[in-house]
Amino acid sequence: MSLELETTKSEDFVSTDEISLLVIILDTNPGQRLLRENPQTLTQCVDSIIAFGNSHLMQKSQNKLAIMACHSKTSEFIYPGASKTLDIRQIDGQYEVFTLVERTIKTNLHKIIATENTILSNESLLAGALSMALCYIHRIQRNKPPGCKLNSRILVVTGSGDSAFQYMSYMNVFFTAQKQNVVIDVCALDQHLSLLQQGCDITNGLYLKIPQLQGLLQYLLWVFLPEPPIRPKLVLPPPVKVDYRAACFCHREMVDIGYVCSVCLSIFCKFSPICTTCHTVFKMPGPLAVKSKKKKMKL
Amino acid sequence: MVDEEDAKEYRWETGYEKTWEAIKEDDEGFLEASVTDIIQRAKRKRQAQKLPNTKLGMMRHLYLLLDCSDSMSNQDLKPTRLYCTLKLLELFIEEFFDQNPISQLGVIIMQNKRADKISELTGNPRKHIKAITTLNRTSLIGEPSLQNGLNVALKSLKLLPSHASREVLVIIGSLTTCDPTDINTTIDALKVEGVRCSIIGLAAEVHICKQLAAETNGTYSVILDDSHYKDLLFQHIEPPPAAVCLDSSLIKMGFPHQMVTEGTDEPLTMCMCHVDSVEEGSKLTTGGYYCPQCCSKYCELPVECRVCGLTLVSAPHLARSYHHLFPAPSFKETDYNNQSLICYSCQKSFTDLDKHVYQCPKCERTFCIDCDIFIHDVLHTCPGCATNPAILQSNSD
Ligand SMILES: [Zn+2]
Ligand SMILES: [Zn+2]
Ligand SMILES: [Zn+2]
Ligand SMILES: [Zn+2]
Ligand SMILES: [Zn+2]
Repeated sequence: MSLELETTKSEDFVSTDEISLLVIILDTNPGQRLLRENPQTLTQCVDSIIAFGNSHLMQKSQNKLAIMACHSKTSEFIYPGASKTLDIRQIDGQYEVFTLVERTIKTNLHKIIATENTILSNESLLAGALSMALCYIHRIQRNKPPGCKLNSRILVVTGSGDSAFQYMSYMNVFFTAQKQNVVIDVCALDQHLSLLQQGCDITNGLYLKIPQLQGLLQYLLWVFLPEPPIRPKLVLPPPVKVDYRAACFCHREMVDIGYVCSVCLSIFCKFSPICTTCHTVFKMPGPLAVKSKKKKMKL
Repeated sequence: MVDEEDAKEYRWETGYEKTWEAIKEDDEGFLEASVTDIIQRAKRKRQAQKLPNTKLGMMRHLYLLLDCSDSMSNQDLKPTRLYCTLKLLELFIEEFFDQNPISQLGVIIMQNKRADKISELTGNPRKHIKAITTLNRTSLIGEPSLQNGLNVALKSLKLLPSHASREVLVIIGSLTTCDPTDINTTIDALKVEGVRCSIIGLAAEVHICKQLAAETNGTYSVILDDSHYKDLLFQHIEPPPAAVCLDSSLIKMGFPHQMVTEGTDEPLTMCMCHVDSVEEGSKLTTGGYYCPQCCSKYCELPVECRVCGLTLVSAPHLARSYHHLFPAPSFKETDYNNQSLICYSCQKSFTDLDKHVYQCPKCERTFCIDCDIFIHDVLHTCPGCATNPAILQSNSD
């Protein structure tokens, strides 16, 4: 979509053939604590996201926006949205575009929430949503006009907690984003997210756990609106040291020193004779074994 | 076996010239659509051939055995065989460590009947790339000695612990090898030590190479053009199946965390990694990673602690390899007949131009061909499965 804006564009660093694509993943899972305890919070979050998305579109006429809703059983694009049900009349001003953004998002979100079944789960499948976002970005990247540069980033806004069983998908998503130069930003609304924080660190994104929900829009505009290239010039929250210790596969506890299976690289907190992941039987590190392999063991 | 079939597919695309440009531009869409299509199909086929859950040699120790003899100055690859090889190897080394983060590589060159190790077995890609780039100025002389090259590699690989996967990858342009004694004794020794030897030939098939690969469970292929060369080389990024004689063991590793106490300034400390580096020297710095066993500091991971010998890694380093062991399921190619209006992951609307669509056997979602390749080549997670709680749960059990 092309927007004709009167607003002056910042000329100091961006050339006009750069497109900035922002994909927002909003966790709208009604099972998360925040929404279970206080359902009307959702309206506030959605309104803040819409205002934030529109601010992004307003910054430059070539800017692109996509918004996804993430639940425990589904993740969907709610903007632009595949369904052509909304009657798009001629758009001759920015306000119509913003109205369209708002109407599309709210209509699509209503549809998703209406189909949500009554059994709630607090696991939001954010890693899955991120993987869809990366495929979407990959398509936009493929189809961009020649000679034009696409800067892509993903912003995750969620009140859910860390989810150990999505670990593998999370890691695949982070490494893919890193390879494709996609920045992952995370705005945590309720709980600290150590896995997603690692993702921000790997992809050079920003991680922020906001102190109170009332100020959501201000935090979004202050911290997450500036594009990654100009962030170093701004005063932003200092980077936090990320904990890269491993969680053992047996108890999901953080370990400083662990034992790694040479076949599948699973991590265990203590020696066991068999790998529970790949079922390999290990040589016992008994004194006999050490003696016979003495020469070879010193690396 | 596998290679012969692949070669058949590639014969279709030998129409274009062997230029270095062709390799460089293939990501930007310079190749004709038909060639792209053939490559896409070849990629899909290779993905389909991957056997899930086979035991892989994850802790790889690979020697690159590079022919630097007279034959490498041949210009059938542009500008020369050597130059083209060095450019490809730079890419290969980067990608190798990206996909095999706790593995090690070494480089040996063969020229004038001699074999010289130009880069020791290490996990640092920059050292190898530096060594490789100096080869630009090397004079290509004499004949290579495959036997001498293999012996240098074997001498070093022999010393590794028994759980280490040992490999040699030979890149050879010469059609002859000038060996001091019977090469069969060397091949037997390689077999005994479980060293897997693969060869990429730049000219034509050579009997001894074929025999070496066959007896050590490696692969042997001869390139058709530069694009095929890149493809053959990059097949060695994937960890090979674990050798039968490979011992399995649990290896003690350290996961360092940064030493920070809330509210205090970090102490200035010396790192161990630059202690004996002539160019850079060890500097007093804040930050870094501390060995959980002996508290030595390092600037980068992964590294083997120089003081206590513990291998230091971060959890994401290990996680970079998990996709080899837990790949996304191969998708089924089916004719398009309105199964779905859009691709599940990229949201592209299917049109009459989409003759085939691709379906995940687990989550049954429908994807376009571009997503199919992106998912299996790069992402390694099926977006349909990752947004399906039932499948996710069953995977993690
Ligand atoms: Zn444990
Ligand atoms: Zn294992
Ligand atoms: Zn140590
Ligand atoms: Zn797609
Ligand atoms: Zn699937």
